[in-house]
Amino acid sequence: MSGRTVAVAARVMRQIRGDRRFSAAMIVIPVLLLVFLKVVFDAMDVPSVGQQRYAVLGVSYVIHFVAFLLTALVVVSERVQGTLGRMFINGYRRLEIVGGYLGAYTTFATIQSALVLIVAHFLFSLDYSIGELAQIFLVLWLLAVLMMSIGILVSNLARNVAQVIPFVPAIVVPALFLSGIVVEVSKLPVWAQIASRVIPLYYSTQVFQSFFAGGSIFDDRWAFLLLPILAVVVLGLAAMTLREEL
Amino acid sequence: MGGPAISIRNLTKRYPTVTALDDLSLDIPSGAIYGLVGPNGAGKSTLIKTIVGALRPTSGSVNVLGHDPLRNRWDLRKRIGYMPQENALYDDLTAEQNVRFFGAAHLGGDELDRAVARSLEFVELTDRAHARVHALSGGMRQRVSLACALVHPPDVAILDEPTSGVDPELRRAFWDGFRSLSDRGATVIVSTHQVSEVVECDRVGLISSGHLLLDTTPQDLLARGATTVRVWNRDGTVHDHEVDDYRTELPSILHAGVQRIELVQEPLEDVLLHLIEGAR
Repeated sequence: MSGRTVAVAARVMRQIRGDRRFSAAMIVIPVLLLVFLKVVFDAMDVPSVGQQRYAVLGVSYVIHFVAFLLTALVVVSERVQGTLGRMFINGYRRLEIVGGYLGAYTTFATIQSALVLIVAHFLFSLDYSIGELAQIFLVLWLLAVLMMSIGILVSNLARNVAQVIPFVPAIVVPALFLSGIVVEVSKLPVWAQIASRVIPLYYSTQVFQSFFAGGSIFDDRWAFLLLPILAVVVLGLAAMTLREEL
Repeated sequence: MGGPAISIRNLTKRYPTVTALDDLSLDIPSGAIYGLVGPNGAGKSTLIKTIVGALRPTSGSVNVLGHDPLRNRWDLRKRIGYMPQENALYDDLTAEQNVRFFGAAHLGGDELDRAVARSLEFVELTDRAHARVHALSGGMRQRVSLACALVHPPDVAILDEPTSGVDPELRRAFWDGFRSLSDRGATVIVSTHQVSEVVECDRVGLISSGHLLLDTTPQDLLARGATTVRVWNRDGTVHDHEVDDYRTELPSILHAGVQRIELVQEPLEDVLLHLIEGAR
């Protein structure tokens, strides 16, 4: 990691730390969503084992869209306020800027994922060992990194903040129905099964399904490996599509 | 002042609906303060963005310190300081944090510490270094923005309307700062639509509708204005005589009935307006 990447990451971290309202919202909102999920499960009388599985998948869904939202507005905001162009003229390069954003937001998302998982552990009385929880955390973390990369890519393509907004439901809503959380992907029509393959949450859900089946997160090796591979690919695309023009 | 720090040849930048720069050629001498003047939308900012390598020209060439600003942009950006028209600062960070971040693109460790301190001192903001930018006045933000542009420190400072919205006292301080940069050997390019600032420059380029109408010294620009000898006669009448050289023409104007005379120089703003209108 170059010194400039560290400088971008440090600057973004400083901004996140300084914006306490944003930081608090990004921690409190996922926790509230989990509490809401618990209330619904209890009302529906979902058995404990089922609650555990849906709690983990619910956490993954929450992390998935919160991570996307974290970065989706970042690049476009910087472009609008002129600081992105200024970074380029000052000598910051594309990969350094994208890497810096990802570094900072990954640090934040790591803390966020860990806290949400801890809350889920107590709220849903998750019956997993430390090793198993660590495996769940790793998948959540990789999913968060991938979604943040997608957020940066989407942000690159927008000319203003308003152009990002339509992407939010386009990315967040289909993921719920096509990822395998609500209904098994194999029961969907063929076109929907094909569409599910471009949804990051599909891969994390596949990993969790094999984990629930008594294995480990590494049993569905390809689904697991595709999370970091896609993150690298999307990050590369994000760096390539970052426009240098003022 | 030496040879050209910046050479621009036949530069054209076309957008789908407008030609922002039209076959513009210009040399900016090394170590000079070069003023780019012209009305809003004349093409000044487009020219600046092309010089800093942030905009690809449709045709023509730009050479900055011996480099193509697009092809060799990473070598060049160490040597360029750019202050955009909008402040382009992080409002939620302090003045010092902003300057440090932009300085960190090229400097590190003690060198960066010294550069940040020097740059904040240059814009007289040392005492407000730890104030968040959103808490600063418009003029102070301009100063932070200038400090960010000059932190590394650059061989060429390109400042897009740096004195826009700045009070006269601060404007004076800015121009003193630009002069001290130039004295240290840096080339300073300042775009402005404040005509009164033209006299602060070593050379001036007048741009209108994407064309360079004039590349000259402020003295020459002033001399292009008409001089009028206003004559008050003893009988109460007043006559204006436009002269090319009042020293040679004055004897023919003076006569026994003259009570007093006054030399009226055409305002610089009018000179520029006439030049722009003449080019249309």
